[in-house]
Amino acid sequence: MLSELSSLINSKVPNAKAEVINPEEGSLGEGSILVAPESIYAVCEFLKTNDKYSFNALQVISGVDYLECIEVNYMLGNFDVNNPRQLILKTKLTDRVNPRLDSVCGLWHAANYQERECYDMLGVTFNNHPDHRRILCPDDWEGFPLRKDYMTQKYYRDMEVFPDDKMNYEEREFIVRQKQMEEDLKKRMLERGM
Amino acid sequence: MQDGIVLAKADELLNWGRKNSLWPMTFGLACCAIEMMATGASKYDLERFGCGAFMATPRRADLMIVAGTVTLKMATRVKVLYEQMAEPKYVISMGSCANKGGPYWQHGYHVLKGVDEVVPVDVYVPGCPPRPEALIEGIMTLQKKMASERLLADKWVKNA
Ligand code: SF4
Repeated sequence: MLSELSSLINSKVPNAKAEVINPEEGSLGEGSILVAPESIYAVCEFLKTNDKYSFNALQVISGVDYLECIEVNYMLGNFDVNNPRQLILKTKLTDRVNPRLDSVCGLWHAANYQERECYDMLGVTFNNHPDHRRILCPDDWEGFPLRKDYMTQKYYRDMEVFPDDKMNYEEREFIVRQKQMEEDLKKRMLERGM
Repeated sequence: MQDGIVLAKADELLNWGRKNSLWPMTFGLACCAIEMMATGASKYDLERFGCGAFMATPRRADLMIVAGTVTLKMATRVKVLYEQMAEPKYVISMGSCANKGGPYWQHGYHVLKGVDEVVPVDVYVPGCPPRPEALIEGIMTLQKKMASERLLADKWVKNA
């Protein structure tokens, strides 16, 4: 179904650059379709309105930070009793500083909270989102916690996040290690020119 | 006791009344709150200790049971709720999360490391979650503490 669907997307949506990603040999999991980020709205619209597949339910939007790119995943479904089907749609954003995508709230209302969570955790901005705010962290939170290079802020409104007098020695070692790992990560990213 | 006269010290009489009508605030944050609800329900029946009337507003409550994970976002609200309560007021910190961050104390970027960072705590109840018996013991400990307080003597007579 995937290759058929991806060629259908390519023929109907120009610049979609849809390609099938199969799980690696010997590993479990489902295949997915990767599309270009600029065409995400058009592809979703096609997948929803298309008669044959008509994915009328958006199950989840999630994101993954892979350092070289931020991947946003859409799980679409149709709960037709006779022919239930689902699809994992992926798109990769290479701009880590200001990642942007078009919102699909116009197609599925369920996208509203999911996109807000994706913004909250990974900092992906969604164009044309009706209510673009953080959803879990407070509005004045700094940084995006699910990014690989995330550094916890020292204070949140005069409350210390890791108070020194409440950390035991092993704990402090852990924090030092974590800080080192983060520095290494930063260095690696600089070397790669990001 | 003769001829319908009871003799008691004003402070002790007050304390006896206060400690047996401790009204907690309806306020739960995470999984520990489920255990707190179980404590208030029929099997463990907090009302036996005069403490089962969960108040819907902090203005009428004497006791705040911080039952659950205090995130940094919630911490500001916990502080406001505490300040809205009328004196004298007491705080029980229930569960490891409220005591010291619990399971989130190493990696929890969003969790306050102990509710005592924002409000003064009278009794800590350890456990994850503490069993209802543990919470009841915490409340009884608080009642003992209240029985030994001398509010009139300390606050009014001294400052008179
Ligand atoms: S102490 Fe345990 S049971 Fe209580 S809120 Fe924290 S994680 Fe949940």
